[in-house]
Amino acid sequence: MSVATAVAEQVLNGLVVGMVYVLLAAGLSIIFGVMDVINFAHGELFALGAYFAFAIAGPLGGAGFWVALVVAPLLVGVIGMAIERLTVKRLYGRDPLYHILLTFGLVLIINDLITSVWGKSAQPFPIPAALDQPIALFGFTYSMYNYAIIVIGSVLALGTWLLLSRTQFGMIIRAGSEDREMVRNLGINIDRYYTLTFGFGAALAGVAGIVLGAFQNVSPTMGNAVIIPAFVIVVLGGLGSFRGAVAGGLFVGLVQTLARTYTPFLEGLIVFLLMIVVLVVKPTGLFGTSIGAGEHHDGALLHGAGGGVLSSETRAKLGYAAVGVLVLVPFLAELTGVTYSVTLLEDILIWALFALSLDLVLGYAGLVSLGHTLFYGVGAYASVLTLIHISPSVFVALVVAVVVCAAIAWFVGYLSIRVSGVFFAMITLGFAELFYNAVFKFDFTGGSDGLFGVDVFYGLAGLGIDPGEFEIPLGLFVFDGGIVQYYFLLAMVVGSYLLARRLIRAPFGSVLQAIRESEDRASFIGYDVTAYKRRAFVVSGGLAGLAGGLFAANNGYVAPSFLHWINSGEVIVMTVLGGMGTLYGPMIGAGVFVAAEDILSSYIDQWQLVIGVLFVLFVIFVPRGLVSLPRTVADHPTFGSVVRDQTSVTETEVEQHD
Amino acid sequence: MMRDENSADSGSGLRPSRRRFVQAAGLAGVTGLTGLSGCLGGGGGGANEITYGIISPMTGPYGGLAEGQRNGAELAIAHVNENDDIDVEITGVYEDTEADPSTGRRKAQSVVEQDGASYIMGAISSSVALALNEFAKEEEVIYNPGGAAVPITGSNCNEWVFRAETNTAQMAEAVSDFTAENLGTNVWFHIADYAYGESVMQRVEKRMKDGHDINVVGRSRSQLGSTNYNSYVSQIANSDADVAVLGMTGGDLINFVKQAAGQGLKENVNLMSPTMTFAVVRGALGEAAYGTYGGVRYLPSIETGDNQSFVEAYQSEYGSAPDNFARAAYMSIRMTAQGIAEADSTDPAEVKDVLPGLEMDTILGPNQFRDCDHQAMNPVWPGELVAPEGGSGPAAVELGEMIDGADALPDCGELGCTL
Repeated sequence: MSVATAVAEQVLNGLVVGMVYVLLAAGLSIIFGVMDVINFAHGELFALGAYFAFAIAGPLGGAGFWVALVVAPLLVGVIGMAIERLTVKRLYGRDPLYHILLTFGLVLIINDLITSVWGKSAQPFPIPAALDQPIALFGFTYSMYNYAIIVIGSVLALGTWLLLSRTQFGMIIRAGSEDREMVRNLGINIDRYYTLTFGFGAALAGVAGIVLGAFQNVSPTMGNAVIIPAFVIVVLGGLGSFRGAVAGGLFVGLVQTLARTYTPFLEGLIVFLLMIVVLVVKPTGLFGTSIGAGEHHDGALLHGAGGGVLSSETRAKLGYAAVGVLVLVPFLAELTGVTYSVTLLEDILIWALFALSLDLVLGYAGLVSLGHTLFYGVGAYASVLTLIHISPSVFVALVVAVVVCAAIAWFVGYLSIRVSGVFFAMITLGFAELFYNAVFKFDFTGGSDGLFGVDVFYGLAGLGIDPGEFEIPLGLFVFDGGIVQYYFLLAMVVGSYLLARRLIRAPFGSVLQAIRESEDRASFIGYDVTAYKRRAFVVSGGLAGLAGGLFAANNGYVAPSFLHWINSGEVIVMTVLGGMGTLYGPMIGAGVFVAAEDILSSYIDQWQLVIGVLFVLFVIFVPRGLVSLPRTVADHPTFGSVVRDQTSVTETEVEQHD
Repeated sequence: MMRDENSADSGSGLRPSRRRFVQAAGLAGVTGLTGLSGCLGGGGGGANEITYGIISPMTGPYGGLAEGQRNGAELAIAHVNENDDIDVEITGVYEDTEADPSTGRRKAQSVVEQDGASYIMGAISSSVALALNEFAKEEEVIYNPGGAAVPITGSNCNEWVFRAETNTAQMAEAVSDFTAENLGTNVWFHIADYAYGESVMQRVEKRMKDGHDINVVGRSRSQLGSTNYNSYVSQIANSDADVAVLGMTGGDLINFVKQAAGQGLKENVNLMSPTMTFAVVRGALGEAAYGTYGGVRYLPSIETGDNQSFVEAYQSEYGSAPDNFARAAYMSIRMTAQGIAEADSTDPAEVKDVLPGLEMDTILGPNQFRDCDHQAMNPVWPGELVAPEGGSGPAAVELGEMIDGADALPDCGELGCTL
């Protein structure tokens, strides 16, 4: 076989992959373009399409695939419309962050429903017999189904393009994405069109699921596997641009396939490198038109500050009390025998620190970082590598972790902070995924297993505490290495909180908050907005690195999962759950989240479903977070009337809610 | 390599142990506990009572396999408790690792500290299993890993870890000779780019070159979790390969084989993977798997030991035949329980001294956790996947010649462990 045919075959392979990507990205892009909704549940709708098809095609036999190809997307479309009506609709006008959170919850719900109906194992979904054979064309044999993918993808892309550009439906949709109010003023019920568009986007995801399901298999993880690539394509092509989604999909498919063959080392990296380069050079993506795509929502980030019903003295007292309780926990745990609470608390403290670091950029500077686990993971790797190669001292390891992460944060910030909103979220995600895929490739990072068996020493130059040897009996208790570890962790977390508070109360913090409230006004006054944001990002990166470093030093290992994007998602959830824009809110959020997951997953098989439902309800009804609950409750009409009747009772009740 | 150095280092310094804190300071809890065990142990009659923590990746990519693991463990516990010859009473507690090493470790801590487990079994992926290896050593509890990666009882081995799962090195023995002798000598290695894939490539290549004149015509690596393999299939099709050895598992293997079948690769190149015979793989591939080859760790149909009564019991309890993960969990707990009975002590420190080299009957015939690395000496088989009777549905497996446990397991030194 000649080189030319080999290249031609790989180009064809690239087109097949590209077409799959086009199918995946098209629906995502339309939904974003029209409604500004970043739909993380797109991957699950895609999986749902495959599963419906699997359920329909199985009993029907031969023609089943074709019936499923029509019926399953319609079903997914209906579900999409229901999702829009019941949940997404309530969030229009809010920052896209809330859509991310909402759809994050929907992912858990849909995924859990899929596994409870169809089980956890992969299921076979055969290619229809007519297409299931290799054919020889242009001098090489190739799967007929692959040609079919190209045909189906092209037809759908063309059809969608015609629908959007040549029909009245498309015209209204496009007008709605430009100026919703104007369309409404013309007497058109734009809400109905939004519902239809969401359903249409979901149906496209369903088609992609069927096509890809037959290409591979159907499994509960298939949605998770495609959602990040789908986002990359949409962002590369230009958020909200249908043309961009098509071009981006084909482009990524080709580049990825050719790179695979000719530069195998870049496998897994090249797509994210491309995305970062494109976003840095042209933040709107290849075909995007306005950077304002993410900005014509009028809603701001809803922070929890100012929602408290307690005076600042009371709050300070509560703070001291909380620290006091944390100091006493190991002893209480011993007395009650619930020693596991210390373990759980250590995890909570680390996540609290991580959430605090995110809050500095999210809650104060208004930057949605979707790749914050980059710093957490790199901090963990840096500290473990330091402990192995340089010094067993925890202090040295943590300093290295913080410095490395701050440096990376400066670099990432330098490249990305000038882009705002969704683009910033995506570029940080790109960097995090780049590092995630890179650690698999090197020996020094321990590949997919990670690095294990690290010894730590709490001191410098031989002076200090070796937690393995340390033991001081103290009456009934023994003060040993585990306790040293706990108090060290507690001190670091409380110290970081105080540092963050100092920063926020300093003029630096005021400027950040001014930027969050109105970036334009802050820059009119003469502040260098970008520089302030970048500084905040550096501090935040350093603190997240500290969190990762502490976890690694505490547990003696690091693994690639520390860099997985799901951590970034979870820490955003914690921050918003607690109430961003207050420093203690996200820490409370982390505590509630980690504890709830730990407890629920021990007792309920369907715990993901429960957590997902709680998210959705929370994002819709308590967007300002747990710290706003007392105010929300106090302001509620029913509760308000009780307050007026019995003023004396309220104070105690409100305090219980805090 | 670096990882080996670590494990050598970590032998010298103890890491902080929360458990020692618990033991030394646990006086306050003692009265409460004795009161409790008085009630619980009423019917026990002098049996060795222990708690076994089963921590499996119930959610996440290994969810399907984890169900087998949990069921197998449940059944083993029931059988040990019923069996009068094994003087052990086990209480099982079950947790979800979410396939994440951090969660896995926390759950292990939870079963040890909350539920009082001093024996744990579970995990499937090697990074979670390795995290639990470390945990077992720190907390001085016995751990049976459900993962197959060599380092678990190789370079990262320790005296608290006893593995009943068949490891990748044993599987390489199963398939290497068979592949070189029957499937071709021009070999292409395609692996998923992670520890498991690398270890398949290393072990199989080494073993195939040992006594056979083979020629590696190409290698390729795909990212773990890829969905598209066409370009690798094209590369293999355009080479001189007779056989492609696939160092991948689960969804990766399923997708690769399905796309390879679609592109007609099976007609010219034999496909062989150590995990091709897994029930989940055969189930998800259907016809696409016919005519491929694999290694066999376990099949319900095999006639070793008391396997058939295990299969019958499992079938009647769960309504399906056990897979390899159910088998491994079942064996882990039953073998460890026999060690506890033999030691006549529930203290893992004593049991860990009795278990190594202890001969016992298992569902894979006479077996033991080998002295020098605590790896069970399971027999292995090569197998061909063929159309089942009736012509459609998941492939059936035609077993090749059994390779005895002693022959299948390379020396401890070679695998990097000396205990």
